[in-house]
Amino acid sequence: MKFSKTLYVGVGLLGALVLAAIFAPLITSFDPNEPDYANTLLGPTAQHWLGTDPLGRDVFTRLIYGARIDLAIGLLAVVLPFIIGVSLGLLTGWRGGKTDSIIMRLVDTFIAFPFYVLAIALVFIFGPGIKSIIIAITLVGWVAYCRIVRANVLVAKEQDYIHAARLTGLPSSRILRRHMLPNVISQSIVFAMSDIVLSILAIVSLGYLGLGVPVPTAEWGSMIQEGQGYISQQWWLATLPGLMVVYVGFSLSLIGDGLVARLER
Amino acid sequence: MSTPLISVENLTVEIKTDRGLLKAIRGVSLDINPGDSIGIVGESGSGKSITLKAILGLLPNNARISSGKIFVEGKDIATLDNKSRRALLSHNTGMIFQDAIAALNPVIKIGDQIAEVPRYRLGKSKEESKAIALSLMEKVGITDGESRYGLYPHQLSGGLRQRVAISIALSGSPKILFCDEPTTALDVTIQAQVLRLLSELRTNTGLGIVFVTHDLAVVNELCDDIRVMYAGRFVESGSVKKTFSVPTHPYTFSLLKAAPDPDQSVHRLFTISGEAPNLTQEVIGCPFTPRCFSATDKCSVSEPELLPIANSQSACFNSAEHVNWAAEDSKNGVTR
Repeated sequence: MKFSKTLYVGVGLLGALVLAAIFAPLITSFDPNEPDYANTLLGPTAQHWLGTDPLGRDVFTRLIYGARIDLAIGLLAVVLPFIIGVSLGLLTGWRGGKTDSIIMRLVDTFIAFPFYVLAIALVFIFGPGIKSIIIAITLVGWVAYCRIVRANVLVAKEQDYIHAARLTGLPSSRILRRHMLPNVISQSIVFAMSDIVLSILAIVSLGYLGLGVPVPTAEWGSMIQEGQGYISQQWWLATLPGLMVVYVGFSLSLIGDGLVARLER
Repeated sequence: MSTPLISVENLTVEIKTDRGLLKAIRGVSLDINPGDSIGIVGESGSGKSITLKAILGLLPNNARISSGKIFVEGKDIATLDNKSRRALLSHNTGMIFQDAIAALNPVIKIGDQIAEVPRYRLGKSKEESKAIALSLMEKVGITDGESRYGLYPHQLSGGLRQRVAISIALSGSPKILFCDEPTTALDVTIQAQVLRLLSELRTNTGLGIVFVTHDLAVVNELCDDIRVMYAGRFVESGSVKKTFSVPTHPYTFSLLKAAPDPDQSVHRLFTISGEAPNLTQEVIGCPFTPRCFSATDKCSVSEPELLPIANSQSACFNSAEHVNWAAEDSKNGVTR
């Protein structure tokens, strides 16, 4: 197994943020959502490390609590498409024929959907919130996994070890689960790393549009939106949440690169 | 005569390629019974491997059986649904491949791979399956099975890998073992060990073996019967002993002549000049005509059938005249 520095650096960076999010109440004593009208729009002070926002809430606190929401939804919004996409990809690649035609046409349909239009429509149907975001991302997101896995299955299907397994008369379900899956999943795992970044970006974008997590819950997207009116004086209000997205994206792409180096032996 | 366990009748396989439809197999018939040992020889592209793949239902997507029938236990497998065909085949056959490392799943321990069929197809308990796997490992000559049980394929040597592959193929106790050049990737000493193992399995358990190779020496070692394949057809069929001493088809004769003789020092080995015909085009006449040393006018007009001659079968117009190929050969000035 190759030693991959990138992987460890990425895991370290992301892990630090995850720990901070989990132990947020221990790190900061402020409430992320409670307004404090006496201390609005402060610059960095000893008490408020990154200043306060227009409602007097501590920016540092909100960034950390925001990580809870954004990371959790980002992860959840990848797990569902991952499971659905990988299962359908296995099935469609393995069965071929009619099954393949039907599922692949379905894939084409979903690819043709403009994501944000779909997301906005869903938000109107279900109302803004975590549920709509996850449904929207899942509806569009499984497609990529399905295609990646299908392509890998088509290659693996002609490998002798799959031939050999089929010849011994094992049930298809067993061959797929035990012989196929472990050999075709690595690319999808790597892709999932960059997909988390995309889905966090989607959540932040929806939050910015006011279609994401309802206010006043701390969330990076709505923080950017709230801060943009003050960009000429308190530039950090909108910039810092953006940098958080960059930070997460950076650490996840390090993890992705590290995984590539590892999984591809 | 009772029905053969596996019977292939007039099988034709076509492969779609960029350069048109390739007739990879053009009418092959073969009966296989437990205890048989049939060697199928031929040069690359003659259709040996495709024949095996067609029988076992492993043809790639661009290939299909265009005519002919395959019977297993007297049942036409084309009439069965996928599941029962797979069950019937896996009950009767096993297969080992040329490259054992490719035939083993890289991410599963070898012991678990061997125990898989007992556990998941035959419904044995976990302990029983492991015991069966260990006894299979012993049977194929893997010593110290208990400690090697947990190894992964990449940790084994080539010979051991092929033994693992053989034990997996045997785990469903098949009656016929199909071998697609299983010794080609191995060095000569290991090759001999694997061949010895296969012939022991045959004598001890009555296993039938169909062995595809281009190595005539291997066929001589292991098989009783031989089928010589050329351009998608059997051109000679008979017992190994007879065919090797008196080949009835000029192609077989040339093949045997091309095999190096260890007792003779030669400057240059004999080769069959020319190349195998392009099977994307219609074959007119005997496909071997352009390379044949005894071709007559008739040969380029119509294609000879595989017909009985002197206790074997040959697809050549001229073998019926009991031509002494050797004499014919030297007359035409084909020399080593």
